[in-house]
Amino acid sequence: MATVSAVNTSRQRVLESLNHRQPDRIPIDFGGSATTGIHVSCVAELRDHFGLEKHPVKVVEPFQMLGEVEDDLKLALGVDVTPVPGPRTMFGFANENWKPWSLNGLEVLVPGNFNVTVAENGDTLIYPEGDLTALPSGRMPKGFHFFDAIIRQNHFDPDHLDPSDNLQEFELLSQADLDDIAVKTRAANTGEYATFASFGGTALGDIALVPAISLKDPRGIRDVAEWYVSTRSRRNYIHQVFSRQVEIAIENLERIYQRIGNSIDVLFLCGTDFGTQTSSFCSVPTFRELWLPYYKQMCDWIHSHTSWKVFKHSCGSSERFYESFIEAGIDIVNPVQCSATGMDPEYLKSKYGERLVFWGGGVDTQQVLPFGTPQEVREQVLRRCQIFSPGGGFVFNTIHNIQAGTPVENIVAMVDALRSFGA
Amino acid sequence: MADLKKLYDAVLNGDAKTAVAVTQEAIAEKLDPAVLISDTMIPAMAEVGRLYECEEYFVPELLLAARAMKGSLALLRPLLAASGTKPTGKVVIGTVKGDLHDIGKNLVASMLEGGGFEVTDLGADVSPDKFVSTVREMKPDLLCLSALLTVTAPSMRVTIEALKQAGLRESVKVMVGGAPVTPEFAREIGADGYSENASQAVVTARQFCHPDKAA
Repeated sequence: MATVSAVNTSRQRVLESLNHRQPDRIPIDFGGSATTGIHVSCVAELRDHFGLEKHPVKVVEPFQMLGEVEDDLKLALGVDVTPVPGPRTMFGFANENWKPWSLNGLEVLVPGNFNVTVAENGDTLIYPEGDLTALPSGRMPKGFHFFDAIIRQNHFDPDHLDPSDNLQEFELLSQADLDDIAVKTRAANTGEYATFASFGGTALGDIALVPAISLKDPRGIRDVAEWYVSTRSRRNYIHQVFSRQVEIAIENLERIYQRIGNSIDVLFLCGTDFGTQTSSFCSVPTFRELWLPYYKQMCDWIHSHTSWKVFKHSCGSSERFYESFIEAGIDIVNPVQCSATGMDPEYLKSKYGERLVFWGGGVDTQQVLPFGTPQEVREQVLRRCQIFSPGGGFVFNTIHNIQAGTPVENIVAMVDALRSFGA
Repeated sequence: MADLKKLYDAVLNGDAKTAVAVTQEAIAEKLDPAVLISDTMIPAMAEVGRLYECEEYFVPELLLAARAMKGSLALLRPLLAASGTKPTGKVVIGTVKGDLHDIGKNLVASMLEGGGFEVTDLGADVSPDKFVSTVREMKPDLLCLSALLTVTAPSMRVTIEALKQAGLRESVKVMVGGAPVTPEFAREIGADGYSENASQAVVTARQFCHPDKAA
């Protein structure tokens, strides 16, 4: 029988699991990052359910409209992780100067520069840096729950492409940004929770970021299909973008490390999805040519200078890339989409359980959690915990964010199942 | 003389410039556009589909091949219309209400076009009313509904209900697909067909339009 480590804090529990040792119970993340969060409407319902103080919930990630998981809700859910966000949101404004806003009738708080207009068809349009004189960069269809990027590829000339155009959003951090990171890290690093940092700048071709919704006037390849095509037809261009981006990223990581040292436990490296529901976006050889060297450069720097663990998000059928992820130096994979082809949880645990931490995989958010019964939720959660938890190497999270419209009783069934398992 | 092997390879390799150039040559030489499509374009796109199925091709290669094919078809389609050639079938396609994602839907549309179907693409975030009015107007053989998001998949059910209420449900076969869609979900909402990728969508569509000739 595996030895169970004694822990005094949530942070120790997470670190035990990240180091592939059996903690006292399964560590849990909700709200640690932009791919492990909860939609603001579900946060509000959970707060009501648990009888927590009634107040409008802050939208801490305005693209997917993720709600803040405050300490009282962390306690109710058993959360062991706290986020360390970067200086700005995906729309290029800071999370500050909160103001009320109504999301389909639910009163929430949004950042002061969360500036929107309503289109003729009733859709909500949002603006980069909150600048209403710029073209909008995000659209929320009327009656729906989060934004999607508006493609702005207004300076695209396929015969005269300049890689520096696709580096527009990757710059050296300013002193003000470094100060901001230091302040946020200090606030998060109380020793109670594991700290999960998302500083940005290290994602290589994340399709959610390619449209550069933070920029007022993006240049280069910004259309999603054009980017995918370019990974095949303009590979040299992509190499040049990634190569320079990684130079900038490592310089930023060095400067961040000088300020915060080992005060963060986990770094969100990249959210590029390599899997689809049944296949992948590229072959393994393509991944090894176009991505692996750059991931490895960043991971090598991180592992040789810091104690940070590296977190890689990749939806869908991603197992075929796991050996390459490990070779690159990635420690943690998310969201572990077990419903995708080749992602059987028992197989994943037996093949990679000692080399990768599974941060996710806890319950399916495409079918079971939003549309199943509480009993179905409970059964899946218990089964996944049985499979993933032995020997550590597991942080419980739903498979990607909890979506708007998910019944609160199903979320509660998930939490209850975790408790009954001993988490 | 137009080198049709070159056209086939151009589609397969996603070389739009060559595909267009060879098609122009073929048109100048008065080759029958229907034969060009049936003997070159459809086999090329079928091979693209096969390569996707066996994971030699991925989304980028599909997109590139689709562009090459579209460049060629744009030149051939007016000639086809003039000659009165019948398509394999008529399809209306769109991403359902609330969902702005269109790459998967575009790939299905392209593969269907490459399979000889006449495709009317309504785009993304298409309301049930728009689907209904287009079905009424165009009288397609097939209506294809796409969704990427878990939260928008239920819009498929609403769209099928709207077809029923308009008395059009029996006039058209409904196919659904997209990341959150499963065969069980397709059955539950009353769709006629489901396919898990763009290549399979062509096979399923053929079964509906020409059950005798389906691969």
